[in-house]
Amino acid sequence: MSAVFTERAASGTLFRPVDIGHPVYAAVTDPQTAFWALVDKTRVHEANRDPALLAAYGAKAGQFEQELHALRFGLKPSGVYLNPTERCNLNCTYCYLPDTQRSGGSHMPVETLLASLGKLRDYFRSVMPADRKPRAIFHGAEPLMNAPAVFEAIDAFADDFVFGLQTNGTLLDDAALDFLTSRNVSIGLSLDGPVAGITDATRRTWGGKSVHDKVLRSMEKLRGYGSWSVITTCTTENLPYLTRMVELFHAHEVPTCMLNTVRCTLSGARGIKPADGDMATALFAALDRTHELYLETGRKLMVANFANILIGILAPTARRLMCDISPCGGGRAFFALAADGSLYPCSEFIGLPRFNGGSLLAGGVEAALDSAAFREVTTRDVDRFSPCSDCAIRHFCGSPCPAEAFEMNGGMDKIGAFCDFYKEQVNYALRLIADGKADDYLWDGWDEGTDTVFAMS
Amino acid sequence: MSQIVNPSNQTQPATAAQAQPFAPTIAIRKSCNPDGIGLSHYVLMDRKAAK
Repeated sequence: MSAVFTERAASGTLFRPVDIGHPVYAAVTDPQTAFWALVDKTRVHEANRDPALLAAYGAKAGQFEQELHALRFGLKPSGVYLNPTERCNLNCTYCYLPDTQRSGGSHMPVETLLASLGKLRDYFRSVMPADRKPRAIFHGAEPLMNAPAVFEAIDAFADDFVFGLQTNGTLLDDAALDFLTSRNVSIGLSLDGPVAGITDATRRTWGGKSVHDKVLRSMEKLRGYGSWSVITTCTTENLPYLTRMVELFHAHEVPTCMLNTVRCTLSGARGIKPADGDMATALFAALDRTHELYLETGRKLMVANFANILIGILAPTARRLMCDISPCGGGRAFFALAADGSLYPCSEFIGLPRFNGGSLLAGGVEAALDSAAFREVTTRDVDRFSPCSDCAIRHFCGSPCPAEAFEMNGGMDKIGAFCDFYKEQVNYALRLIADGKADDYLWDGWDEGTDTVFAMS
Repeated sequence: MSQIVNPSNQTQPATAAQAQPFAPTIAIRKSCNPDGIGLSHYVLMDRKAAK
């Protein structure tokens, strides 16, 4: 037990109390290590004097601090977003890419895409163990607008990357589906409503046509495929329908969905931003419904963005998504290649020239990672700005997203767009743990490869 | 997979419950090499696929 630990414990400042809204339990956290414990709520203010808790945690605190530091600052990139085109056939209200790019932009030539993947392969080989492959996710705009280049790249680099494709689902004809599924490419779709009238509020073609039924057809074709998911972007337009969304997804045997808050990076999204409390209420109702469906059918529908919050609490190093940690994963765990060949910390920044880290082919990955543009993102640290620096759950949240913080709230030292929602989400997760239900919200085998390093009960 | 502690399953004998009226503290942490970390926005359930 270090002297600093002993001093913090003696001063009663080691543990921070958190009212999680549970009838029996409250939480205490040590924000510096992302340690938490659930204690009888009538004794929460005695946690700093609990000899058993202090002794057990004191034996591990140094290890947890090192672990969290390595997760936050010691990673090398292991994935890349690939934007093979600037164009999209839809004009979604909240897109983070400028409409001038999406309507009249350029495709990346296939030769450039192949050369880029060759350079990326060489980079990842230099920083990743030989027995691991990097992830490469075709992303948008709509990557299937440039399908011939995408498909040629997947075949050319099949041995070098694990590929995924995030698509609006409207261009997934039988040939495209056969190609992608035969190569075990992960496929992500987007759908915002349980019926066309809701989806159409935010996701339509440039001409205003509905795409809802096309996405449903793609979902039906993917039924039974092992690796696919659907993203719903939560806005004021569809928030009352999230429970119906998860019922629809469960009925279509969607293995995984994401109920993401709308990203408010560009101004078009901010007019449909839900209030934090409304977002929490709707998400928790949807999560409760997934649990009911699981108990009724034995089949889980994973809500992956929430599952990641839960895992970030139970096993910080096992988290999969890197938005909910500070610094976020952009520019350090992954980065994005724009259609013009430039590198950005994340696709979220592609509409913001300030965050252009330079050309992949002319400058390379290392130069981009070391650029001022990337460092502005990778040095955003919730320990260093208020109010996050005084927040008990700051390392369960990470104050996403830096692009939003910068564009919407005025700087990298500002909070993200959904601060109170994240607090409520962590409280909900801790209530599930208190009630012994956490595993029901996680996929079977989520903790394979992990060791239990702390347990009190 | 280890089951996360369920306090409702930890029924105490009546005498013990009377002697210990407070809910037991729950704390758990698991750890692994963070080699499966992926992209934001994207779901990476299949950790093995990245091997």
